Amino acid sequence: MATTTPTETSGSPKRDSLLGARVREAGWGYAFVLLPMVIFGIFFIYPLGYAIYISFYEWGILGKAPGTGNVGAENYRTLFDDPIFRRAIRNTIEFTVVVVPLEMALGLLIALVINARIRGRLFFRSAFYFPSLVSSAAITAIAIYILNANGLLNAIIGGNQAWFGDPSTALWSIVGLNAWTTAGTVMLFYLAALQSISTDVYEAAAIDGTSTWRTFWRITFPLLKPAHFFVLVVFGIGALKIFDQSFIVSGGTGGPVYSTYTVVLYIYNEAFKSANFGVAASAGVVMFVAILLLTLIQRATVGRTDIG
Amino acid sequence: MRKVTAVPAVLLGLALIAVVVAAATAQARTEKTQATNITLSGWSAGKTEDDLFQQVVDKFNSTHPAINVDYSVINGDYTTAMTARFAAQNPPDVFYVDSARLSTWAKQGVLQPLNSYIKASKYDTSKFYPGLLNAFKVGKNVYGFPKDWSPLAVEINTAMFAKAGIKRAPRTWAELTADAQKLASSNAVPDGKPICLNPDWARMLAFIYQNKGSLAKVQSPAVTQAVNFYVGLIKKGLAATPTQLGVGWPGEALGKEKAAIIFEGNWVMPYMPANFPQVKFGVGPMVKGKVNANLGFTVSYSLAKASKNKQAAWRLLSWLTSKVGMQTWMAYGLALPSRSDVKAKAGRQAFLASGPFSRGWAFPNFDATYTIMNNDLQAVINGTMTTSQMLADVASSLKG
Amino acid sequence: MLQTSTSAAADPYLPSRARSAIVGKIVLYGLLTAIALLYFTPFIWTLSTSLKTLPDTANFNFIPHPFTTAAWKSVWTDYDFKRYALNSLFLAVVITTLNLFLAALGGYAFARLRFPGREILFLLVLGTLMIPDQLRLIPVFVMLTNWHLIGNFSGYILISLVSAVNLFFMRQYFLTIPKDFEEAAKLDGAGFFKTFWRVMLPLAAPAIAALAILQFQGTWNDFFWPLILFGQGNEDLYTMQLGLVQFTFTYQTLWPQLMAGSIIAILPILVIFLVFQRFFIAGVTAAGIKG
Repeated sequence: MATTTPTETSGSPKRDSLLGARVREAGWGYAFVLLPMVIFGIFFIYPLGYAIYISFYEWGILGKAPGTGNVGAENYRTLFDDPIFRRAIRNTIEFTVVVVPLEMALGLLIALVINARIRGRLFFRSAFYFPSLVSSAAITAIAIYILNANGLLNAIIGGNQAWFGDPSTALWSIVGLNAWTTAGTVMLFYLAALQSISTDVYEAAAIDGTSTWRTFWRITFPLLKPAHFFVLVVFGIGALKIFDQSFIVSGGTGGPVYSTYTVVLYIYNEAFKSANFGVAASAGVVMFVAILLLTLIQRATVGRTDIG
Repeated sequence: MRKVTAVPAVLLGLALIAVVVAAATAQARTEKTQATNITLSGWSAGKTEDDLFQQVVDKFNSTHPAINVDYSVINGDYTTAMTARFAAQNPPDVFYVDSARLSTWAKQGVLQPLNSYIKASKYDTSKFYPGLLNAFKVGKNVYGFPKDWSPLAVEINTAMFAKAGIKRAPRTWAELTADAQKLASSNAVPDGKPICLNPDWARMLAFIYQNKGSLAKVQSPAVTQAVNFYVGLIKKGLAATPTQLGVGWPGEALGKEKAAIIFEGNWVMPYMPANFPQVKFGVGPMVKGKVNANLGFTVSYSLAKASKNKQAAWRLLSWLTSKVGMQTWMAYGLALPSRSDVKAKAGRQAFLASGPFSRGWAFPNFDATYTIMNNDLQAVINGTMTTSQMLADVASSLKG
Repeated sequence: MLQTSTSAAADPYLPSRARSAIVGKIVLYGLLTAIALLYFTPFIWTLSTSLKTLPDTANFNFIPHPFTTAAWKSVWTDYDFKRYALNSLFLAVVITTLNLFLAALGGYAFARLRFPGREILFLLVLGTLMIPDQLRLIPVFVMLTNWHLIGNFSGYILISLVSAVNLFFMRQYFLTIPKDFEEAAKLDGAGFFKTFWRVMLPLAAPAIAALAILQFQGTWNDFFWPLILFGQGNEDLYTMQLGLVQFTFTYQTLWPQLMAGSIIAILPILVIFLVFQRFFIAGVTAAGIKG
């Protein structure tokens, strides 16, 4: 079991081996992250830089609009002057603020329940995960069918509310749809994280006679902090980037009456419909900066880890 | 150590091999004939129709041995896919362009102006319906020719009309209102409303044109009147939107017998027998307001600016829209000819009658304006916005 | 040590055996079953639609009337779904394997290895999450076109090699593993890679299992990038999702075929889920390794 410390040849042996070990560790560290960072650099960071660059120009499909030069912050001014963009920001924030806690709570709840020793665990796991298995487009088509004014939901609860067709309910219907399909994925992450909590902890709590609720709130919940941070960041960002479902439901119009117009839909329309890539890029940059700030705040509050 | 590194090395090796094989097999496909190879792309109209169109392309290939056309369909989001290919300078040689999208793409410089080719090959453009031809011109430049088209017409549920004692489809605004009232009072449409109206300027604009309104002067009495008439039908309870009826579009309303009168185009003709074979329906020409006017929804064949085989591409384009080429496609009875010298399938007279006075569906600053148009129209129908406010928004958006 | 408190250790969340507890259990199971059935309803509707004729799909009935398997036949023969399935399978397996390997490697480095600039690089990784696909489409597409990586699988595989979400999750997971294991491995004389491969990776099995399910499924259900990068014009390269979109066109959706195709599309990922989810059984990883 005992090892002999390797002796370095020159200088003070102990100090050099420590420095050597540090350098070796750093070398391996860089090696391990090299390929991912290169790919992120080429396919994410470079396009971001490109977007920042063109946000200062009038940019079309084939590049800079002929005869124009750097237009400074004009695209950004156009952006914030546009009532549709302001509405898109509002819709996106409202959507995110409601859907993320909903998904987290649902996902955690389901994970806790099926992590416990209950019968038919496989059945329940599959059932709760099922909506997440289906592709976004298919499940939205099914949802449109169910939430039709004469559809299944209204048949059960009565009335003939046009869920996706009424400006006051359209966005919240998408919230419900999204939470339902995403909770299964959140459940998966929490399930995995729950496995890493040693059962010793529960045994100790049981021996102490701690109640179930207390065990959860004082022990499990805090131990899941790395998972909370992960879910908050990843699914928070995912919610802010919502596009598929609002696109399918509104047919790309962001209706009814702008109620489902999201920021990414705005970017999409400006870029691919109106060919205003400069404006689209500026919207993208604004979004990026906002998310970055949000993530930094989350990191400072929830993300601080004592380990590593 | 060797055992440990073996597995990841094998995995990475496998992946590299996979990548190379994938690349190689795709390359092999493209080198075929010595003829000039050009590509033709469009969106899908369903596998059956796409396969039939392939036969049209095959006919061109067999009669033009020096050119080999590779026809392929672009599924999903056509506009995004094409934009990406334009940006990468790798578009198909000939492709579809919707009339609404034409001026944007022309201004972006991705479409080839055809004037010189028209002159050089003395291409006869006199037989095209003028409204459709103009939809693909920007200034003096021609950017494409219409491959087919459809205007709006009046589709009715014949059984419900019989029940209400109405002999034929309405021909004027007055008849429309009167017929709707008759249908309502005789309870011929118990499950819905007499008319299903799309809350969409792509339908309402036809009514605006019929009232002598125009987009050049949006905030005018003519336009206001037309809008109020259209929205008024809904407010009076004589019409409802698809959402209100719980359907996706008016065609579905007609099929589910939730409406007796709808305004749709040629696309409704195959849709009804395939989806609602038991519903008997009739077609009449579009209603007339103060004047006859209609919208012509049309798509062009256009040539890419970045094409490397423009001469061959022009041969294809001009053949497809020539009398011979278009007749070949029209023989399948799936579309309406945009030329008056080409015969259409029988029974489409109601649509073709609008040929002389149909205007292309396009206007300046299309996408931004259309978004505002429809969102505002929904608000007007809901009662949360006034007509004049909507027209003001539209007017300012049209200016770009 | 464990025998006296078996019930508490085995059921950390269920109350001790009292009569009210049994009632509680019945309520719990009842509720769970009801909700589970609710979750299965869309699947049942999908199945029933696939067995209908097109006109019948307009009705809201669960039982097809008339009953027909025409859609299934059409999907399997008129459209090359065998091919599509093979393509999807190939891509999903290759990408999941490579992506997870790189994610675990990178995640471990970010969690446990010290190197200058580590936190900034990690923030950069998180940053990539904040860029919507629509924004990076054009630059990525132009690059891949210039490198001749479109029209075949290579471009798509390349951009799918890494995922910030997976890397992030692996890092979070590695952070929760006590350092004892690495220290033991170090004392045994293991280098960094060996420690990673032999010790840490097996410990992270639940995380890998979760990500395997999600990545396989993500690749399987991916529509946007395959469409743009290789989904135009060459039907031989279509994946399941690209195959499915053939059933939707401007004024018509072939609902029965679409639903039949969707079911074929779901089956493989359901199988993957069932296979990998057993790694989530509480205590399986704990036994023999921890404590």
